[in-house]
This record gives sequence, structure tokens and C-alpha cells, in this order.
Amino acid sequence: MLDRRRISHVDWATFGLAMILVAVGFLNLISALSPSYSLLKKQVFVFLLGLLALPVVTLYDYRKLAEISLWIYVVVLCLIVLTFLFGVRAGGARRWLNLFGMNLQPSEFMKLSIILLLSQRLHEKRALGVKLGPRDLGVPLLLILLPTALVLLQPDLGTAVILLLVSLSILWYAGLKPSVYVALGLLGGASPYLLWEYLLRPYQKARILIHLNLLSDPQGLGYHTTQAKIAVGSGKFFGKGFMEGTQHRLQFVPEHHTDFIFTVFAEEWGFVGCIVLLFLFLLFVYRCIRISESASDELGSIIAFGIASLVYFQLTMNLFMALNILPAVGVPLPFMSYGGSALLTILLCLGLLMNIQVRRYMF
Amino acid sequence: MRGGREDSLRGKFLRGVLLLTLLVLSARLWDLQIVKGDEMRVLSERNRVRIKKIPAPRGTIYDRNGVVLADTRPAFNLYLIPEDIRDFSETVDGLSGLLGIPREEIMSRLKQARGFPPSFPVLIKSDISMDEVAKVEAHRIFLPGVTVQMEPKRFYPHGDRLAHVLGYVSEISPEELKMEHYKDYSAGDIIGKYGIERIYEKYLRGKDGEKRVEVDATGRETRILETREPVPGNDLFLNIDFDLQRAAEDALDGKAGAVVVLNPRNGEVLALASRPSFDPNSLVSGLTDRQWRELISDPRYPLQNRAIQGRYPPGSIFKLVLAMKALEDGLADESTSSFCGGGMRYGNRFFRCWKEKGHGRVNLHRAIVESCDTFFYQLGLRLGIDRIHEFAGKIGLTSKTGIDLPDEKPGFVPSTEWKLKRFHVPWFEGETLSVAIGQGPVWLTPLGLCQLAAFIANEGIVFRPRVVKKIVSREGRTILAFEPETLLDVRLKEKTAKFIKEATSGVVNERSGTAYASHLEDVEMCGKTGTAQVASLEKGKHLGDHAWFIAFAPRDDPAIAISVLVERGGHGASAAAPIAKLITQSFVNKNSKRFLARTQDSYAR
Repeated sequence: MLDRRRISHVDWATFGLAMILVAVGFLNLISALSPSYSLLKKQVFVFLLGLLALPVVTLYDYRKLAEISLWIYVVVLCLIVLTFLFGVRAGGARRWLNLFGMNLQPSEFMKLSIILLLSQRLHEKRALGVKLGPRDLGVPLLLILLPTALVLLQPDLGTAVILLLVSLSILWYAGLKPSVYVALGLLGGASPYLLWEYLLRPYQKARILIHLNLLSDPQGLGYHTTQAKIAVGSGKFFGKGFMEGTQHRLQFVPEHHTDFIFTVFAEEWGFVGCIVLLFLFLLFVYRCIRISESASDELGSIIAFGIASLVYFQLTMNLFMALNILPAVGVPLPFMSYGGSALLTILLCLGLLMNIQVRRYMF
Repeated sequence: MRGGREDSLRGKFLRGVLLLTLLVLSARLWDLQIVKGDEMRVLSERNRVRIKKIPAPRGTIYDRNGVVLADTRPAFNLYLIPEDIRDFSETVDGLSGLLGIPREEIMSRLKQARGFPPSFPVLIKSDISMDEVAKVEAHRIFLPGVTVQMEPKRFYPHGDRLAHVLGYVSEISPEELKMEHYKDYSAGDIIGKYGIERIYEKYLRGKDGEKRVEVDATGRETRILETREPVPGNDLFLNIDFDLQRAAEDALDGKAGAVVVLNPRNGEVLALASRPSFDPNSLVSGLTDRQWRELISDPRYPLQNRAIQGRYPPGSIFKLVLAMKALEDGLADESTSSFCGGGMRYGNRFFRCWKEKGHGRVNLHRAIVESCDTFFYQLGLRLGIDRIHEFAGKIGLTSKTGIDLPDEKPGFVPSTEWKLKRFHVPWFEGETLSVAIGQGPVWLTPLGLCQLAAFIANEGIVFRPRVVKKIVSREGRTILAFEPETLLDVRLKEKTAKFIKEATSGVVNERSGTAYASHLEDVEMCGKTGTAQVASLEKGKHLGDHAWFIAFAPRDDPAIAISVLVERGGHGASAAAPIAKLITQSFVNKNSKRFLARTQDSYAR
């Protein structure tokens, strides 16, 4: 089972890149969580757990894993349903399940699960060069919308948007018929209206309106984004230095250890640090695409592409929000945000990437 | 299988997307961190750093013997910082519920602070109790924006005693803030509003310190970055002898009136009492609008300092002015005499002497000692109003004395010119008769008449009255010590000075003197009584005369000059003179050693 050749084929560059990002993430969390490190201990524990799981996920053939992807999907979906029944409430949302004292966020695992499941269902068609028509999309869309709707009800707009974007990219990657593009185009055109009328909650609408400067802001909803902007901008060229950021330490930036973690980094490491970090992230996405391109089969290729899009969309949505380009929609920054489930998911993704990578010459 | 044309196109597209992403995000980071970086850094510093004022403790005010008259004690003041309030109604309701401050009051105070920066603390309630402090501190996290600061607060340990002299302090008003005089002040500062607190404001104030503190998003201090300690104000030592002050106030207890005690040798104000009084402590805490209106509309005018602002006809005391003028001009001497048959007819009116059966034949000495009106009617006619006016001005009665207290009023003595100007009718000689006995349009303040006593005691030399003796820094260094300042040096003929002293001594010490009842065994007090008739507003209802007495003692080496006024007190001899006797007595008791030494000294000479 443990093949020497496989180990020598491991893409240490991508792995190393991921470990650098993890390290930067921890370093940043030390500053963000200071002076209370109980959350940091939990995060370290999850990381060690993920590190232990990594060889298993790397070595257990992804093709066999894909075969049980539906079961994984069903289990994760059930866990999401359970959040409605036994969920831990925080900040007006029920996203977490309490498991042995750890809070588990099943919707994070759904991100990986949906990638696996869609890849499993679509890879053969792609292998045959068959483009997906409207009829082929019925079941996949159902599989996509079911968890997306549940997550939206928790409510967790950010995760729902990520699930949707990742799923659509996979469909796109699998290949679509022109008629589907037309249909998706129409749906895409109508979606703002549909979202607005049926799906968005008043506070979310308010955030968007404030962002667009269409609504004055008497209750200070824009306060948080303004403070985030000040945190980033005050970093200037070289930053204030590690542990020297005042905006987060003095609680001016909310959620600074989770969704707004980037502002902590930007304040302390400045423009230089931000550009380096941004480059590392995009390099990681690029490595994912390379793995996708060099995969030995379509299944591996689609999975790797799905992971690439997952990291890409989380990265961009998070930064767009932190830099106040888009309205605040909570999305964690991979490797950086505090959150066990997100870290575990990204480590599993990393394992899967390695898995696909080491098998690139095998048929 | 893969790697076809479509796939390589897709690959290029994806690389393009990554590059574009890098560009867009870099551009945004450039914009925020480089282009707007400085501005954002300033904003983050302003978030973090707050400059808090540390009010300087105001200087302490002592009497001449070191008795504390105005002190500073720590007080807890409750502030709201609008910038830190997340939810206005939540914080306001919470605070209102916690401390029972009406919601409207909090809102109106917040409204008044509009136009100030939102990080500016708005005073909601001053001097809250320890219980209230504990309550607020316990609920702090639920009340973002609420802070309690310990600040020094003015405290007058003797309540309403000496209140008119000390004055009071309170928060600077929006009107005062606009004045050039207060250009160094900012909203919320405490300033002297009245009395010496106002006159010596710049010495008492000190220099406020500053604390640069780091605060978190709820406004809680996390650490102190820099402190500039306040410089305490300078202390004042007054000339006031608080024991004498207390004696004077107690003598006036329950009455309306004033007492002034000066040292005629240098102008030191030893006591200055005005009753009724007020408690300056209540004004420091800030009165409500209603309380303030009640205070200023009180018919007894407790805020008025009668000693320097109250003007009353001097009654018979004014006879001394005429006597001096007549002696100076050679119009009269010790042998000049008139017949008093209980009054005199002038024109078609009969001017009565207070003694209905008359004094018989009186000379100038007796006329003063027994206060014969008839004599002075005649003397007044011989002098004429303008000579009286001129002399009164010469001895300082119609000017302000220049005492170091605010809003002093000068005295007034009429002239023919004044009458013509004011009423466009000539002066009638008959009016001179009223003025000659200190009635009619003659108005002097108790301070003005005390200066007259000092003038006689000191034989023509008068000093500027001073409440403050010296200004001393907190470290004990004397900043300013006031030297006696000669106000008048009227060269009286020696004969005049001697004569008038003799006569005033007779008032108290001769059996027939009007104030004989108030003579003292161990010290020779000189004086003059006065009774100012008050025109009754309603017919048949006599409101009572103002009782006057001025005095100085001891005769040969005067150490105190006194004036006493009791509004509606009745006769000067019975209502005012005993008070002067009491004050002289307590002064002598306290300073007996000095007196003894001085008496021996004068024998040795």
C-alpha cells in the first residue's frame, strides 16, 4: 500500500505552500486572539487532527472515495438537518453541532462533499466529451440546491453562496451545452431580483443598501466595514508590526478572528505583507489548477478544479468584503480564519489534492 | 485524452482570472494602504487615543489665620460619550432606570452638547454618590458610552458664611464661552462666578493636566499612554478674620443687613458680612432652572452683597461730613452754637428735630454727640448743597472704593447740577435740609461708610480696602502680597481731625451720647449713629427705619473701623450700635495682647 514511488511523487511544493499559509494563519491568530489563547489551543488541536488524517486521505485512492461520495453527502446533509434540531445558536444563526465539546460546522464539510459528489456524477460524461444539456442537469441541480437551501435557512448566506459558486464552476468545467448557458444567463440575470424578494433577510438587505450608499446608516451597520477599512488602510506600507495592530486589539473590528481576519494581517504587516500573502494564495490556487490539469483522469481533474474554485471563491469573497469592495457576507478566509471545521476541510482538500497528484501517472 | 484545444483555452482563461484577481486586489490594497494610508492611520489613532482632561485642583482659600474657607474635595461625575454609544435609546433608558435620572433630562443634556465632537464627554450628573458609582461600574458593559470620572469639586465648609465675599464657582455658560475674557476656556470648565472666586479666577484656577489614554471600542480605558499632571491653583490668604466674621454674621442673624470691618491703618478687610445669605455649595452642584429662578426672585435678595451693593441714606452719620466741611472752611468751630427748640421752620414747612422738646442751645460738639438735627439744618443751609457734594467727593464717598470684589456700587450725594440735569428743575434750598441729616437723595453703601469711619480714625488717610492679603503657590512660595494702597490723603486741619474724633468719642462715651449704651469699659470706641427714614409705601404702614452705626477703636490708635447696617432695624443706637460694640469687644478679646503691647508702646513714646 505504502509505495515509495508515491511518496517521491508527492507535490511537496504545493504541500509546503499550504503549510506556509497555515503557519501564517497561526501567527496571525496569535495576534488576533491575544491575550486569550483558549481558542488558539482548539485550533491547534484541529490542525494536529487534520495532519494525522492527511496521509490517510492522501493514500486512500480518491476513485474509491468518489464511489462512496453519495453516502458522505447524505451523512453531511443529515448533520446539517440536525443543526436545526440540536444546533448551537450563535449570532442569530444555528450552524454548529456540539460534538464532544467541539463545535462542528457541517456546512463546511458540505463544500468538499458536494465537490466529490458532482465530480463523481459528471466525470464520465466529460471523459466521453459529452456536453451537459438541461436534462442532464436536473439531478445535479437538485443535489446542489438541497444543501444550499438548508444552509441559507440556518441562516448562512456566505456558505450558501460559496456552495452555489463552487457547484456552478464544476458544472462549467464539466462542459455545458449552449442552451444551458442561455438558461443560466437568464437565471443569473433574474437572480438579484429573486434573491431580493424571496431570500434575503432585512439585515442583509440593509447591508447591501448601505454598501451601495443607498441607505443612510443611523444604527451604524456600516460602522463595522468602516472600521475594517481603517484597520487595513492604517497598516500603510510596512504595517504596524506583529501584535501592534490596535484596531482589532481594541475591538474596533468585529469578528476579527473569523471573517475579518485579513484586516488583522493587513494592519500589522502592511501593503508588503498583503501582497506577499495574496501572491501565496493565488499561487496555491494556481497549483490546484496545475494538479487538475495534470490529473490522470477526469475524476481527479474535476475534484482538483473544484478545490481550486473553492479556495479561489472563499479567498476573493473574503477579501472583497474585508476591503469593502462587496457588502459584508460572512465567508472564512482559508488557512487564516479561526474555525475548526473550515481548517479541517481545507486540510482534507489538501490531502485529496496530494492524492490526485501522486496518482497523476497512473491509469 | 485531456489537453485538447478547448482545455488549453480554459487553462489560459483561468490563469487570466488569477492575474486579474491579483491586479484588482493589489489595486485596492494600494488605494487603502498607500494612497489613503496616512488618513486611515490618523483615523485609527483617533479611534484609539483619547485625550482626557485632568482638571487642576482649585486653590484653597484661607482666612488670615489659616482657617480653610474654600476647599477642594473629590467628586464623581457621570458622563456620556456620544461616540461610544451604540444604541442611544438602550443606553439612555438603561442609565435612566439605573440612577433614576429622568430620560428627558439626559436627552436635553445631550442635545445641549450638539456641535461638540462626539468624543467629547457630556456631563449628565455631577457629584454622584458612591452607591451610584458602584451601580454604574457594575453595569458598564451594558451601557457603552457611560463613564464616571473623579474630579475635584469646590467645597465651602462653612456653608453660607462669608458667601458673598467668597462667591462660588460653576460650569462656564455658553454666553461666557463666547467672551474674549474666557478665550482660554472650553466647555465644561469650572469658573469663578462671583466674589473673590471670580476676581482671583486666574490665580485660583491652576492649569489643567492632560491624559492621553488608549481606549477600546466601548470607550473603556485600556492603558495610559502619557500624562501631563495638572498644576494646582494658587492659594489665597484673606485679610478676613473668620472669628470676627462669624461674630458679625451671628449679630445679624435673622435680620437683613451688613457689617464691614476694616483695618483703617492699611485697608485690610477684617470682616464683611451680608445677610440674608446663600449656600454656595448648592450653586456649585448646579441648580435646576426652577431653583435658580427662585433664588434670584427671592424678595430678600440673598445673592446681593449688601455691604458693597446696597445703598441706603446714611441718616445722621452724614452730619459728620457737614461738620468736617464746616470746620475745614472755618464756617464753624467749637464755640459755634445754635438753639434747638425741637426743629425749625423753613419756607412753609416745619423741619423737626428727632428730639421733640428740643436740645436747647447746642454747640457743634453736642450737636454731634446728641445728634441734633436743628443744628445741622442750619449748618447745611450755610454750607449749601454744592459744597457738601464737593466735600463728600473729596473724601471718597461718591466713588467706588476699589475693593477686590465684583460689582461694587459707588455712593451718591446730590448737587444742584445733578438736579438740573436729571430733573430739569433747580435745587430747592429746602432739600438741603434733608441732605444735611442724611435723608433724601443721599445713598451710601456700608463699605463707603466704613471708609468714612476709617477716614476719621486715620485723620484723612484712607486705604483701598482689600479682601485678599496674599497669593501663595501650592509649594508655599508667595506669588503676590498686597501692600497697603493709599486711596486718599486729604490733609485735614489738625484741629478738624482732633475735633471730629473728640465728638465721635463723645457719641459713645459721654452720658448724653446717642450710643452711650454701647460704650466699652476697656477700650475707647468712637462712633456715630444714624437712622434712615424709609418712605412708607403704604399710608399708615411704617416699615421701620434703617439702623446705622459706624465706629472705630481704640480712639488713639485705631485698629478697626466698623460700619453696621440693619435694614428696618429701627434706631441706629439700639439696633446697630450694639453690634459694633460686640464686634469691637470680640476683636479686643482676641487681640488683647497686641493692644496691651501697643498701649505700653504709646506710653513709652
